[in-house]
Amino acid sequence: MSTKLPVLESVTQPANGLLAEARPCALSQCRPGSRATVLGLDDCGSDEACRLRALGLCEGTSVSVIDARHAMVLDVRGTRIALGSALTAGITVQPLPAVRSARG
Amino acid sequence: MSDLAVPVVESTPPVSSAPTDAAVLRVALVGNPNTGKTTLFNALTGLRQRVGNFAGVTVERVEGMFRTAGGARVSCLDLPGSYSLSASSPDEQIALEVLLGKARDGWRPDVIVVVVDAAHLERNLYLASQVLEVGVPVVVALNQMDAAEAKGITIDVPELIHELGVPVVPLIAKRSQGLDALTRACEIAVTLPAPGRKFVLPHAVDDALLPVVQHLEQAGFKPSAARLEALRLMSVQHAEPHLETIAGLDDARRDATVTLAQMGIAPQRLESDARYGWIGEVMSRTTASRESHGQSISDRIDAVALHRVIGPVLFIALMAFVFQSVFTWAAPLQDAIEGGIAALGSLVGGFMPEGELRSLVVDGVFAGVGSVLVFLPQICILFLVIGVLEDSGYMARAAFLMDRVMRRVGLHGRSFIPMLSGYACAVPGIMATRVIENRQDRLATMMVVPLMSCSARLPVYTLLIGSFVPASTLPLGFGLQGMTLLGMYLLGTLTALAVAAVFKRTLLKGPVRPMILELPSYRWPSVRTLGVTVWQRAMLFVRRAGTVIMSLSIVLWALATYPRTAPDPLLSEMSQQEQQLEQSALGQIGKVIEPLVRPLGYDWKIGVSIAASFAAREVFVSTMGTIYGVGGDDDNAAALGERLKAEVDPNTGRPVYSTLVALGLMVFYVYALMCMSTTAITVREAGGGKIGWSWAAIQFGYMLALAYGAAWLVYTVGRALGYGG
Repeated sequence: MSTKLPVLESVTQPANGLLAEARPCALSQCRPGSRATVLGLDDCGSDEACRLRALGLCEGTSVSVIDARHAMVLDVRGTRIALGSALTAGITVQPLPAVRSARG
Repeated sequence: MSDLAVPVVESTPPVSSAPTDAAVLRVALVGNPNTGKTTLFNALTGLRQRVGNFAGVTVERVEGMFRTAGGARVSCLDLPGSYSLSASSPDEQIALEVLLGKARDGWRPDVIVVVVDAAHLERNLYLASQVLEVGVPVVVALNQMDAAEAKGITIDVPELIHELGVPVVPLIAKRSQGLDALTRACEIAVTLPAPGRKFVLPHAVDDALLPVVQHLEQAGFKPSAARLEALRLMSVQHAEPHLETIAGLDDARRDATVTLAQMGIAPQRLESDARYGWIGEVMSRTTASRESHGQSISDRIDAVALHRVIGPVLFIALMAFVFQSVFTWAAPLQDAIEGGIAALGSLVGGFMPEGELRSLVVDGVFAGVGSVLVFLPQICILFLVIGVLEDSGYMARAAFLMDRVMRRVGLHGRSFIPMLSGYACAVPGIMATRVIENRQDRLATMMVVPLMSCSARLPVYTLLIGSFVPASTLPLGFGLQGMTLLGMYLLGTLTALAVAAVFKRTLLKGPVRPMILELPSYRWPSVRTLGVTVWQRAMLFVRRAGTVIMSLSIVLWALATYPRTAPDPLLSEMSQQEQQLEQSALGQIGKVIEPLVRPLGYDWKIGVSIAASFAAREVFVSTMGTIYGVGGDDDNAAALGERLKAEVDPNTGRPVYSTLVALGLMVFYVYALMCMSTTAITVREAGGGKIGWSWAAIQFGYMLALAYGAAWLVYTVGRALGYGG
């Protein structure tokens, strides 16, 4: 790992050995099956951002990545939304730790 | 289903307060796409629907009549499906204008019914929360209760009524459950005060918005609607057409966004934050969902349907099935119609004395119109199968799968739906391009939609394939005829993609808009909705057969019959009629056209039929029907296909219609734009006036050049390779 940010490492690395909380990234970098909270839609273009917000994909929403290829299929508030790669690259998210009990 | 009782209805006074019989209650139906809104509309109105356009725009306007459970007459307007009132597409713009009472035709709703999908309540409540502020009484139709139940979602309806402050009626529209309660709720709602905003904004935000609200109120907006519009305007870049005339509004809007930004509030996310914040609270108080284990059925289907390898294979197999079914299922029905019309023709002919009039009726009207009506079963089946794909939710998956291909040519997945509608008819296909926000993408899609083989080409394809392609069976049980038909559709589709790529790189350069597409849950299609769709399309086709095609048939019969010539008694009866046809007005026109179509391998009869079919493609078949009905030696001659096969060139003694000629002719019809309605709709959709006409001219011109060139190529190359005469 990087040696440039020792302070941050020690803060985000809990003592009990769990993985460090991931840093904010583009939605397009998330893997299928992962969950993330939307931080910003700033790089989507204002018309597209307006439509995404109406569809329930707004700041603070948690989304699940169902499928990721050239485009992504997301779970947004119980609905399935497919987004092109230009949009998923423009959405900033905070990845969330996987929910362990999701598959019963 | 006793849990479908409506508390609000039970606690209200009897129907005496509803409007009197003479008054018509106007109800606007709004909702997200895929909420079963159209199913509900069909269940309420049945076939009492009028389809038209909103004044000035080409958004389809469907209005229907029904009676409430209390007997009041209702005029119901089915507004286009919208995710919000954000006016980000022409559809949403229209919905907003109608709800605000700003529709250009003056139609104002007395009650608004918001159709809400119980299985996806959270997202659906966004539109509902906007509609509550319009300033008109609202009823919430909580549809698809069965789907919600299956997903383990329970909704506390009385609590939801309390939260929204309007009647909420649980429904299962596709089983017609809850309709009486809904219509009664509409009657009652009209007497209730209009609802309003259910959440409060911080005082500072309200203050910042006040100047915008005041401008709107001065322009005649109701206070509640003014607040709705003010909040909405914070998230858009410029005011929409219905607000453009309000002086000073745009400045006030800009000032408000600056003020908000100074307060540390991002104006573009103000509305979604406020509404979804409120919705989150409502959800927590009204709904409970069982802990779901594993994937839903929809997700499991998608694991296959969207699979990287299986998905595209399944897609192509489904498309092959569509075209195969059009051919095989329709055959017995077609035989029945053909037999029926022939019997009717000879029955009517039997009552008439031998002569001109009998010839007109039997050879002109029955032969011409009959030869087109025969294709009614195929058109019904095509619309039925496309309807099933659309209603079940697969169409959105197809658009998702096709997005990558479409992107490569410079369009996006959304363009796929208008193109697929083009398989049924280019007119609704071109109208469906309105879901594309970007004008460049829209025009490029519009230009290529008519290359998708529409149902009007089907009569031409089936006549020629049925006559000239052997009905042999290929491996896997697919027939050669069905696959030839699929080939014609593929040819049109691939060419459409190529042409779109050319347009996007030349006349319509521009970036590709990214895909935003909802993949609705899979569901069983509603039999009633499918029935209404098929019925409407079938009636449209029959009406065309009864008007355009019938009058053209009569004109063509006259042209083929006159001027009469004295028959040469030395010739056989068959040759006499051949001679008469050649010397008729139609024959003479054909001789003029012949040099133009000779290079394609056609004789003058095909030339005349092509010329006549520039008004509408199906006319090709009816013209051939008329020509051979007239030229034939017997009234109830064998079917047209048989006649074509038997047709022999009098000079060479070889068949006129070789398989090669038939193939070239089909390719011509794949490409040529022979439809006045399509040209008319392109003019209007491309912007009307001079711009519209020039785009329509470009469309017509390139398609004709493509048709002639390709047909010539097929014929020339085919002959060089030694196929056919």
